[in-house]
Amino acid sequence: MAATTTRARRRIPLVVVIQRALQYALITLLALFCLVPFAWLLVSAFDADAGSTLGVPDLTLDNFVGFFSGAETPRLLLNSLIIAVLGTALNLALGVMGAYALSRFRFRGRKFFMFAILLIRVIPVPATIVALYLLMVQVNLDNSLFGLILVEAAQALPITLWLLKGAIDAIPMELEEAAWLDGMTRYQAIWKIVGPLVMPGLGAAAMLTFMAIWGDFLTPLVLLQSPDLYPLSIGLFRAFTAFNQVDWGLLTASAVIYMVPPTILYVILRRHLMRSSLGGAIKG
Amino acid sequence: MAYQTVTVTQARMPERRPRSRRDRGMLPVLLGPSALLIAAFVVLPAIYGLYLSFTNTQLTGSAARNPKFVGLRNYEYLLTSDDFGASMWNTAQFVFLSAIIGQTVLGMLAAVLLTRKWLKGKGAFGAAVLLPMVVPEVVASLTWASVLSPREDGTLNQLLHVFGQAPVAALQTAPMLCIIAVNIWRGIAFAMIMFQAALEDVPEELIEAARIDGAGAWQVFRYVTLPLIRGPVFLYLLLTTITTVGVFGLVYFLTQGGPGGETRLTAIFIYERAFQYSQIGLGSAASVILLVLLMVLGLTYVRLAKVDV
Repeated sequence: MAATTTRARRRIPLVVVIQRALQYALITLLALFCLVPFAWLLVSAFDADAGSTLGVPDLTLDNFVGFFSGAETPRLLLNSLIIAVLGTALNLALGVMGAYALSRFRFRGRKFFMFAILLIRVIPVPATIVALYLLMVQVNLDNSLFGLILVEAAQALPITLWLLKGAIDAIPMELEEAAWLDGMTRYQAIWKIVGPLVMPGLGAAAMLTFMAIWGDFLTPLVLLQSPDLYPLSIGLFRAFTAFNQVDWGLLTASAVIYMVPPTILYVILRRHLMRSSLGGAIKG
Repeated sequence: MAYQTVTVTQARMPERRPRSRRDRGMLPVLLGPSALLIAAFVVLPAIYGLYLSFTNTQLTGSAARNPKFVGLRNYEYLLTSDDFGASMWNTAQFVFLSAIIGQTVLGMLAAVLLTRKWLKGKGAFGAAVLLPMVVPEVVASLTWASVLSPREDGTLNQLLHVFGQAPVAALQTAPMLCIIAVNIWRGIAFAMIMFQAALEDVPEELIEAARIDGAGAWQVFRYVTLPLIRGPVFLYLLLTTITTVGVFGLVYFLTQGGPGGETRLTAIFIYERAFQYSQIGLGSAASVILLVLLMVLGLTYVRLAKVDV
């Protein structure tokens, strides 16, 4: 055994070894390019006298203590959580109902609806934000978390509908029909049969929607004016662009706290992420 | 067997028909709320934006209370104004250099390298490439604000120092290059994911055969792999163009369109006009131009992707 392995190893010619070394070098450089910008953020968050550039840290957790005991910063986190959690909940509740209808009913305009929401997906926020703001002012939903939650839930709905329609398509209709024969009503069959089976798809849709709402910057920037309604994205922007002294330690600690939820979700989603269908949904 | 199937079907038929007719009533209940929400917060703003683009609506002042219909004047102004033209040109440069060239080349490189069987640590390399895409855009910009810091100990300047170069204030002297680099960095992962999926469908025998015929790694890629994944690559290019035109926060956080409007993308132009100069009509007209452009790209995408409903 050992002899064969050695012989096999020897058979790799020098040219191939050099080629492989070069390719290792390339992928390492690429990984470094992707990771190095995070160094300052992660180091400064734990640095007692953090600055605007990378330095040797004076290790401390004070920046995080400062974040949670600050006068305004905990409010930013709370607002972000309220907007993202409630927005995701509304998005999923409507999405699962709509997707069921799109998957199980054959009605006129179904194809049109599917293509229309696919096209709506390509409209970026900057292209509608001006009119949206004016409309929100007219119905008194500007400068309100409730209004922002409605908008965020609506913006993520096309993707949720597409994802969940695919998930429900994969559940055989026969299972539901069998449940009807057993005397269940249609709603009972949806709840008892489709519900459990659609959970994985629902989980993926939940994470994508949460990440999209959590990371949004332009919509809250335009719709919210009161600082006590700001989510983390706007809080970070205001702190970064403040003309007076920037508290780099607090700013980087806030940014680290802000990036934790999507990073954890991504670790969970990772296996699904590698499939392009979800990949297409996650960008933008 | 056949007999059983027939009985089952017969038993089910009378049950199914009235039920499906009765259940028709569920449709508006199920789909209505979704359709309503999308109509109210996505479709209606697009239509209202079209109306606003023909008016002289202002955010404040007298034109805010009773705006006048001005026909195509906003469009005339935009199409002859240097500012808007510059913002379109900036967007074109930004999309072409960061998304079409940068993300595509580096994403393809990552995807190809990560399909190598002998490569160890694929998981770690893949995770590293994905991280820039996963963090919120505000965090992504913040990290680069430090990398590009004009101070001597900024990350970029320290790197330049290693190569014996003088420190630079990159965000002042080459702002467009900076935001292009940042957007490449953020988008490599998306390109990689799309290309990995495409590469999986390339039959290995073809590559083996080319290898045996003596083709080098580049030749195999250029003459075997690339022609086979042309379709997915083209679809990716359309998709990344669409999403890159919509980039706002990543750039606005870092430069706010400056210095001197050098990084004022069309998305930033719209925001500035409408919310800083309070020219809602003008901002809306610019939005409509952007919208029409994206719709054309989007329709092309749906056509070519042969999306199945």
